[in-house]
Amino acid sequence: METLTAIVALLLFPGGIALIAVGLLYKWVNLKLLARAQNRQGPRWFQPFADIAKLLAKEEIIPDGVNRRFFVILPTIALAGALTAALYVPVFGVNPSYSFSGDLIVVIYLLSLLTLCIGLAGSNNNSRFSVIGSTRALTQLFSYEVPFLLAMLGPALVAGSWQISEIHDYSAGRLLLLSQPVGFIIAIIGLMGKLEMPPFDSPEAETEIVAGSLTEYSGRGLGLFRIGQGVELVIGLTLVAAFYLGGVGNPIAFVLKTLGIVVGLAVLQALATRLRIDQTVGLWWRYGALLVLAQWAVLIVFRAV
Amino acid sequence: MKIGTIFEDVIRSLFRKPATRNYPAERTETPERLRGQLVFDAEKCVGCCLCSKECPANAIEIITVDKAAKRFVMRYHADRCVYCGQCEISCRQGCIDMDANQWELAAQSRQPFEVYYGEEVDVEQFMANLAGDSASDDKK
Amino acid sequence: MVMEEDQKKFVIPIGPQHPALKEPAHFELTVDGETVTGATARLGYAHRGIEKAVESKNYTQALYMLERVCGICSHVHATAYAIGVEQLQDVTAPPRAQAIRVLVAEMERIHSHLLWLGVAAHEAGFDTLFMFTWRDRETIMDALEALTGNRVHYSANVIGGVKFDVTPEHVTSILRAVDFLEERTNHYMDIVNNDAVFLQRTRGIGVMPKEKAEILGVTGPTARASGVTRDLRIDAPYSGYDNYTTEMILDDRGDLEARFAVRVRELFEAYRIIREVLDNLPPGDLTARIKRRINEAETVSRIEAPRGELFYFVRSNGSDQPDRVKVRTPTICNMASVLSLAVGHQLADVPMILVGVDPCFSCNDRMIRVKRSGHDHELFTWDQLRRYGIEYYQRKVR
Repeated sequence: METLTAIVALLLFPGGIALIAVGLLYKWVNLKLLARAQNRQGPRWFQPFADIAKLLAKEEIIPDGVNRRFFVILPTIALAGALTAALYVPVFGVNPSYSFSGDLIVVIYLLSLLTLCIGLAGSNNNSRFSVIGSTRALTQLFSYEVPFLLAMLGPALVAGSWQISEIHDYSAGRLLLLSQPVGFIIAIIGLMGKLEMPPFDSPEAETEIVAGSLTEYSGRGLGLFRIGQGVELVIGLTLVAAFYLGGVGNPIAFVLKTLGIVVGLAVLQALATRLRIDQTVGLWWRYGALLVLAQWAVLIVFRAV
Repeated sequence: MKIGTIFEDVIRSLFRKPATRNYPAERTETPERLRGQLVFDAEKCVGCCLCSKECPANAIEIITVDKAAKRFVMRYHADRCVYCGQCEISCRQGCIDMDANQWELAAQSRQPFEVYYGEEVDVEQFMANLAGDSASDDKK
Repeated sequence: MVMEEDQKKFVIPIGPQHPALKEPAHFELTVDGETVTGATARLGYAHRGIEKAVESKNYTQALYMLERVCGICSHVHATAYAIGVEQLQDVTAPPRAQAIRVLVAEMERIHSHLLWLGVAAHEAGFDTLFMFTWRDRETIMDALEALTGNRVHYSANVIGGVKFDVTPEHVTSILRAVDFLEERTNHYMDIVNNDAVFLQRTRGIGVMPKEKAEILGVTGPTARASGVTRDLRIDAPYSGYDNYTTEMILDDRGDLEARFAVRVRELFEAYRIIREVLDNLPPGDLTARIKRRINEAETVSRIEAPRGELFYFVRSNGSDQPDRVKVRTPTICNMASVLSLAVGHQLADVPMILVGVDPCFSCNDRMIRVKRSGHDHELFTWDQLRRYGIEYYQRKVR
């Protein structure tokens, strides 16, 4: 019985197919809101699904001179990492299927695995654009990771645990957004950095390096990367909503809170110009890290008191 | 230095109707001066051929059926035409009009782009002559 | 700790097919990490041989072919050619025709600058501004369509005047469009001058001091943003521009921010000129009579296009076909400055620098035949060339 529930949890709900579908649906919400903010109509609800279906059906062209095994397996690892992270996070408002002490760090590492895979995929290729895109992706990873992690650890500090389900139980009913506003802002902006949304989309700057690391990918590999990015969106949103917005106890709260964050993300995306990679790094290490450390200092003082 | 200077515009756009025009579901009115496809009135034509001389794309051919009775046929290549409107000005008799209502000109074959204007009888005879010529060419 | 790495000099190709370019061109940037150490360009992908083709058409046909050199600045090409041919016959277009030419030229300037603002924002990654400016550009395109009959390639000119008249309904609709656009341009002025993140991409980038601008030979708003006081509408007025007050828009900072600011201020200037033209439309005919066969002569006409100085040389040989038409567009003057400025900047700045000179690659392509050794050739030094030019123009004193 346990094996059966495990398999269902992994493949169907709340991980696997349901997560992928919801990931693509949230991607559509983001696209539609961004379009409306720009006074456009935006795509219809099935656009990301149609894109993925088309990509999975197309031929995968493997360029000359790349390591074939890496080329083919990196998208799969990226998607696998993102899907595995869902096991420990309360997606859809249901309790996580597995949890153990310290799984916050594991989840954040698994999310970074996706960016790492994109960076490796870029450097694997021979194309100039891929190499530069990979350098930028990894540089950006080093820049927002520390403030984002510290912002996520803020609620962990007050809850006194590194286990997501325990932090979730602690923050349910408490709006940690009010007592840790700086942490919340850093978490939201860090999420934009992780998901490579403007203004932090320098690794896939369309007008400078075509598509960054994913330039040479087509067909199935590109489709898997895109699905992975959709899943990462949902997991990131769930984490932020669970920690800062008073927990996601039931599916309705999950939908409402994550959609609220998506609205904020869309408005922030519409407002900003793309930053250069050195400006991104400077911004994060100068303001992001310092602000979140200041927040931590406040928390520690209050806890000691 | 402000952050998010475009904030008000963005928030207002979220609640406004999008600026996208739902063509072909909605079609807006075209202004009357729009230079659409050429329309030729053969009755007024005197055969000066100024339109065909001044066309930059060689899109107009005036074929004389009967010079004394002033019967001419125009063969208009709509795919060569650049819709500049010079013919409309060159013609002193006012035979040519760039019709503002004929602007959806996409087609799936070449055939709709060769347009013949003139009296019915003349056009039919001209087409018959053409077919006769090509048939006799084939026999050779 | 000293790290030794072999200097991997990458050559990044931008173009001929690249999302940064709206038209094909080939830039090869040698980068070291993210810093550009060298730049070369190869142009000519949009060359269509129009200059040669007009030698076998008559003057009216040539007018329309030359109008289609570029889509954005089509009216100034046609105006320059028409003014050139009229000069060959010593004919001037009637005042009403000249006023309508100025009106359409200023409307085209508005459309071109709004297009450029959107494209520049898109290159910076600011897609929202791109969408908003192109939405507002539709207003002026609708006004142009109602007035001239087409959204691009207005075909307003005939040799000797213009084709159509301006009715009072057009006047009201154009004024209403200009009022709406002026209010929106205030927003864009605010963004270009004050938005903190946008300024990070434009302030202090691509700085070109005045001396360098004069040596590189840039023209138009790019030069005026570096303090070079050159505007053909004021220095050598044509087509009735001396009836209207045109102010020279200058900026002395010379960086990308200055170029943005100059073009947005030129938008305001264009609104003002349009209002002045529509208030003072002189009555009269629309065309002047001009013969089909033009006497043997050669002439030069210069027009202030939205991108800079547009230069036409027209030579006739007594028949009804032009003998030689040479077109020199402003983009090819400004292109050298892009290559010279790109060195030392980051890779992410190069598309911004390129778009800052408002490139129009369709206008760009020229063929120049270089005679090598074995033929007679004349070598001009810079001073000799200047002196030759001054004497040539003094001989053409009107």
